[in-house]
Order: sequence, then C-alpha cells, then structure tokens
Amino acid sequence: MQLGRNGRLVFLGALLVVLAAAWAAAAVYLWESRVPGNLSPPDLDVHDEFTRGELARASRYERFLRIELLLSQVALLGVLGLYAWRGHRLMRESAAGRIGTGMLLGMLGLALVWLVQVPFWLLELWWQRRHGISRAEYPEAILGTWLGLGGEFLFICLAILVVMGLAGFLRDRWWAVGAPFFIGLALLFVFVYPYLLPNLGSLRDRELTAEARQLADEQGIEPIPVKVEEVRTFTTAPNAEAAGLGPSRRIVLWDTLLTGRFEQNEIRFVIAHELAHHSRNHLWKSVGWYALFAVPGAFLIALFTRRRGGLSRPEAVPVALFVLVALQLLAGPVQNAIGRHLEAEADWVALETTEDPDAARALFRRFATTTLSEPNPPLWSQLLLDTHPTLLDRIKLAEAWERENGE
Amino acid sequence: MLDNRRVADHPIRIIVKDDLERSRLTVFFRLLLAIPHLIALFLWSIGALVAGIVNWFATLIKGRSPKGLHDFLASYVRYATHVYAYVLLAASPFPGFGGERGYPIEVEIDPPELQSRWKTAFRILLGLPALVLATVLVGSWGGGGARMSEEDGQFAADLFSSVGVAWTIAFLAWFACLARGRMPRGFRDLLAYVLRYGAQAYGYLFLLTDRYPNSDPHDPPSREPVPEHPIRLRVEDDLRRSRLTVFFRLLLTFPHFLWLILWSLLSLVVAILNWVATLLTGRPPRVFHRFLSAFVRYEVHVLAYLLLVANPFPGFVGKSGSYPVDPELPPPEPQSRWRTAFRVLLAIPAFIVTSAIGTAAFVAAFLAWFAALATGRMPEGLRNVGAYYLRYTAQEQGYGVYLLTDRYPYSGPAEYEEPEEMEEPGEAPPLAARA
Repeated sequence: MQLGRNGRLVFLGALLVVLAAAWAAAAVYLWESRVPGNLSPPDLDVHDEFTRGELARASRYERFLRIELLLSQVALLGVLGLYAWRGHRLMRESAAGRIGTGMLLGMLGLALVWLVQVPFWLLELWWQRRHGISRAEYPEAILGTWLGLGGEFLFICLAILVVMGLAGFLRDRWWAVGAPFFIGLALLFVFVYPYLLPNLGSLRDRELTAEARQLADEQGIEPIPVKVEEVRTFTTAPNAEAAGLGPSRRIVLWDTLLTGRFEQNEIRFVIAHELAHHSRNHLWKSVGWYALFAVPGAFLIALFTRRRGGLSRPEAVPVALFVLVALQLLAGPVQNAIGRHLEAEADWVALETTEDPDAARALFRRFATTTLSEPNPPLWSQLLLDTHPTLLDRIKLAEAWERENGE
Repeated sequence: MLDNRRVADHPIRIIVKDDLERSRLTVFFRLLLAIPHLIALFLWSIGALVAGIVNWFATLIKGRSPKGLHDFLASYVRYATHVYAYVLLAASPFPGFGGERGYPIEVEIDPPELQSRWKTAFRILLGLPALVLATVLVGSWGGGGARMSEEDGQFAADLFSSVGVAWTIAFLAWFACLARGRMPRGFRDLLAYVLRYGAQAYGYLFLLTDRYPNSDPHDPPSREPVPEHPIRLRVEDDLRRSRLTVFFRLLLTFPHFLWLILWSLLSLVVAILNWVATLLTGRPPRVFHRFLSAFVRYEVHVLAYLLLVANPFPGFVGKSGSYPVDPELPPPEPQSRWRTAFRVLLAIPAFIVTSAIGTAAFVAAFLAWFAALATGRMPEGLRNVGAYYLRYTAQEQGYGVYLLTDRYPYSGPAEYEEPEEMEEPGEAPPLAARA
C-alpha cells in the first residue's frame, strides 16, 4: 500500500509525536529522585553562613573565571564558525580519499580550537596559581593539553570513520545507526574510565575504609573500592568522583581531600555522597541522558550538513563540528540542570545515610575557602555554567533534611 | 638563509676522483695509521679557531675575508676533509699534512668574496642548524652517549644512531673493504656527501663563504650511472607546505601510527609465511607480495608525512600512485633460496645504515619544521634528506623483512633525474624526481 503526500505527512507527524512522547517518558523516568518533591528549603542569608571576606574573595575569583569562560566560548564558536565556512578549502592538504580527508578536517578543526583556547587556559592557570588553587607549571600544562589533543585526534578519527562509513551507504540516515553506536561508546568509556586514571592508589585510612563499607551497606549496594588519586603536585583544590559501572565501579578521592584540612566526618560525608551516585545509578542515568540528547543531536547534525552534501562528503565535516559544538552549548543549561538535580539527590542520600547534617554544612562552608567557590553566584551563572548546586543551596538542603527528620 | 641553488654553484665543492680500490693492509690499520694526522688536525684546529675569530672581526669590518686568513682557513677545511676521508675509508691514499690539492676526495673553495655584514654578525647563530645537521652526519669521536646498561640490540641501535652517519658507514665499510679490497660505491658516495656537507658547514662558520650549506644528498648528480634497483622512490612534491598541518604534523600522524602498528602486527605474520613460501617455491606468492607491498608503501607514505617530505595527509591503504612520495615496487620475481634462507642476517648492515640515515632524516625534519612554518615551503635539501631515507627504508624493508626483492639496498644518494627521462610510455603522471 502506497501513502499519498498527505498520508506521509500524517505518518511522519504521528511518528514524531510518538518519539517525543517516548523521549518525555524516558526523561521523566530519569528525572525521578529521592529528594522529596514538596521540599521547601529554609530561607538562609548567605552572610549568616559565610564571612564577608570569604564571600568577597570567592566572588572576585569566580567573576574572573566566568568572564574568561564566556569569552573562550565566544572565541570557540567564532573559530568553528569560520572553519565551517572556509574549512573545506583544507581538503587540498589531503591525499587520503573520502574518509581520510574527513579525518584530517576533523583533526584540523580540533587543532584550531586548541590554538584558540591556549591563551584562555594560560589565563585561567595564571589566575588559579595567583589564588593558590593550582600548582601546575605553564609548560607542563601546555604539554598536557597538547597530549590531550593527540587523544582527541584519535577519538575524532574513530568517530569520523564510523559516521562517514555509515553515511557512505545510509546517506542522511546515518544518524539512526550512528547515534546508538556513540551511546555504546559512551557506555564503554564510562566503564573503562576508572582504569584510565593515572596515579591511583588505595585508601590507607582503615577507619574510612570500614566506614565506606558500612555506608555502602546502608545504601543497599555491595562495597565499592575507594581509591585515592594523587593530584597535590598540581592543585590544592579538593575533589572526589564516582566512576565506573558494574565491576569497574570506584570512588575516587583526590589526595587534597586527605591533607588534614577536612574533618573525618566531612570526608565520610563525601564518600557517602559519591556512593549515592552509584546506589542511585547516576552513571547509568547520565548515559541515559546522553542517549536522549545524542539521538536528536545526531539527527540535527545530519540535517545541517545536507547543504554540504551530507556527512558522506569530507567538506561537511567542518560544518558538523560547528553544529556539534553549538548544540552542546545550547544544551548546556539543560545538562547543567540535570547535573545539579543528580548532585542534589546524592547530597540527600548522603544525609540519609550519615544522618550528619552538621558534617555536610561544615564541608560546604569549607569548600568556599578551599575551592574559592562562590556560595551564591548570580542566577545566570548557575543556569549556564554550574553543574552542582550552589554551596548555599547545599547548606539549605542539609537544613531541610534536618527539619524533615526532626533532628 | 636556505636557498635551493645547485651545489655545483656553491663556493665550496667536493670533487671525487676515487677509484674505490682499497689496500686491505692500510684499511686494517687505518685508525692507527691516522694517529699522526689526528694529532696534526688537533693542532690545526686550535690555530683555525683563533684565525676564525680574527677573520670574523676582519670580515665584519671590511665586508670581505682577508686573503691570508681565507687561504689559511680554506687549507684547514681541505685538510680536515682529507683526514676524515682517509679515516672514514672514503679515500685510500695517506693524505699530506698541509691540505695539498689533488687528493681523491678534494675540496674546492672559491677565493674570498664580498659578504653580507648582517650574515657575518650573526654567523654562529645562523650556522647553528647546519652545525647540528653536520654533527649528525659526521658525528664525533667517541660516539656520544650510548648507555652500556641497555640491552645489546638496543645498545647497538643507540650507538649507531649517536655516532653519526659517517662513522656508522665507516664501521661497516671496514669489513667490506677487508673482505673485497674495494669500497662499496654506495658507502663511498654517502661519505662524500657527508664530507661535502661538513666542509660547507665549517666553511660557512669560518666565513669562507656566506652561502648556506646545501644539505641535498642528490646534488650534484653522480658522474657515473647509479646502479638500477627494483625499488625506487618517486617524488612529485612541489615543496609547498601548509603551515597549519606542519604545526600539528606529529599529532596529525597519530591515527596513522595506530593503524601502522595494527597493520605491522599482521604484516609480521604474513612476512613469516612469505619467507617460508619463498624458501619452498623460490618466489614470493603473489597474494603475500601484494599485501606486503601495500604495507611498505603505506609505511613510506606515513613516514613521508611525518618527516615533512610531502604535504598532503596520506591515505590508510598504501595505494600505489596515491601519494606524491611513492615507492615503486617490483612484481614478484624468482629469488635465490640461499639469500632467502639467511635474509635477516644478510640485512643486518642495511638495518644499521637505516638507523643512521634515519637519525639524520629526523633531525632534518626537525629543522625543516621551523623553516616550513616560517616560509610555508620545505627547503629542498632537507626534503631530499628525508626522501633519501625513505628510499633506503623501502629498499631495506623490501629486501630484509618482506622479501619484495633479493637485491641489496643501495646506500648511496641516488641522483636526480629529469622527469622526461624517467617517464615510460603509458606511465602517468610525469615524475618530478626520483631518489
């Protein structure tokens, strides 16, 4: 049976509605959280929680970084825009055939981005060194980003090999197979990530190790190895992360967290927070969110590269790079909101497990001095840039938990 | 600073009148026989250093090197070349102590000419790249910093890559001359090139000329025809370079390195099967030969890109004729079973020569990186150092590892040939040069 033009439009419209509904249903499922929906955090005054000096220092520090970040993003978009417009001229620098030339153009796009970003990285490093946050040397930092660029080159070559290979026979419908491939790749990356971290050792503090086991038990998961990453040679900032999936799951504490600046119960809260990322399947959910953005993102890239003949042709690669980065920037506020949502849930579960809101409050207050995070940044900055709730919001959440649980 | 004028026009030239005949007795004791000359050269060097400094001031003031000083320094460069030629077995007769003319490896140096005062003022700085390349080519007494703690094989490779091309070749030539009473022509021509570059580099530093040394190993063309070899290199490169891809050249080669490693693992397995099959049938099977030819071609393309010998990003399949620097490989031919059986052992000298020339090629690429970034063009001489290495590598791999031919690699710098002369009916496209 053949559909007429109107029939096709109706079919496409219905398909779109079904896909949108499936997307929304998946998003609702992923958004589900243990933080009570009707929670009303107390109205705290930031000046009651932090000293005037702390606020001024953090504000000054972060304002500079925000401006620097915004300028770097403008420069990034500018250079990729120019590259999308003129980049296809660099095809003459290749004798590598269709896909090889696409790889070259992909790598050169990243190379130009690197060149444009270097001054901003140096500026950022200078500012962090000036405030005692970073200890990295300039040549070391440049070399690090240079080697990182080599890794990016390998990744983009793989990505272009897949996309252009698929586009070779699927034409504009490559995204239907390409997006699942990249989701699989993201899953693989999350799985192997803990094995790629350098300078990783075991946690030597027996008390904390025992507490980590107990916290995992309370959160209803198997014990997860706690590792310590040696970073103190290039930074003073404390941090921790949950990494891996299934058998590769790890909690990684930066050794800057264990230098004596933080109390034992504060570190315990950090471990509980990171365990919550695992117990609440945040890494799986992150991949799920990635999938929800990857499919329409790949479709839009295929759509925008049509004018250059689609991604089966190397001259479309610069345009694809530009569209990819532009989409990432556009999706940034939504992804940040998702990140903040997951972090709030991890805080909440950590409060439930440790039942120690005082430790949480003390920890977040200390972050203002050790990381120079602004406790209550401007709203635009929270929306556009922040992947974690503000320190004030996290303190409010601890207060709210305390109130909810009548302590 | 770097120009592409022919070496025949260079004010410092090497004239080779050597007949390749060698006395086994003097070859055996060559280093010991050279001791008086080495002492004399040391004393000459002290005098030349003082004269060089005086000459610098004089040339800076007058704009021309004074004739007395020029002649003294020219004699020194000539004598040093004679001594090196003797020690390195590039020539046979015991040289005179005064740099007298008429030695089989002779240096011709033009009389003093007007020189740019700017170039004179910054001569040491300007001459630094040439000095670096000369050091890699000629090497130094003692052989640099090879570490004794290394594994034997690694130690040998490190040693030969640190003593310089000339000493490596001389070491191998010593055995060849003792065995045959004759110097292999490839070795002699390579040494003549190295000595010519050394003479030009030191002549430039001593202000005998303000013409930069010409690093082109193919220039001037050999007077005698170069032996035919079934593996040749076609160079169609126009010397233009994209500054952007030059700047990121090492990183841009990363995907090729990865692919090369994967491919080489498979090639090794195929090479072993090919060796067994060739030993049994006396000819490499066509399917193995084709696979291994593509690998050798791909390896040359990747190295050409890395070493800035060519400009475009190469393909990943080693397709014939797809790249401006492309090895021409022979079809499968009958091969001697004896030579096949002991191929790896027979190829050991070629592996050593590759390591030595490779060091020079990588240093040339490092220097060329700056030049290409600054000018958007590759200096022809440095490009040809790389092309020479690629041609030898293709021959060495084709002979020693992948059995594409049983002809031994030719170590001498092969001459330039005009494209028209090389072109055969039905062959396209026209060739710019062959190495």
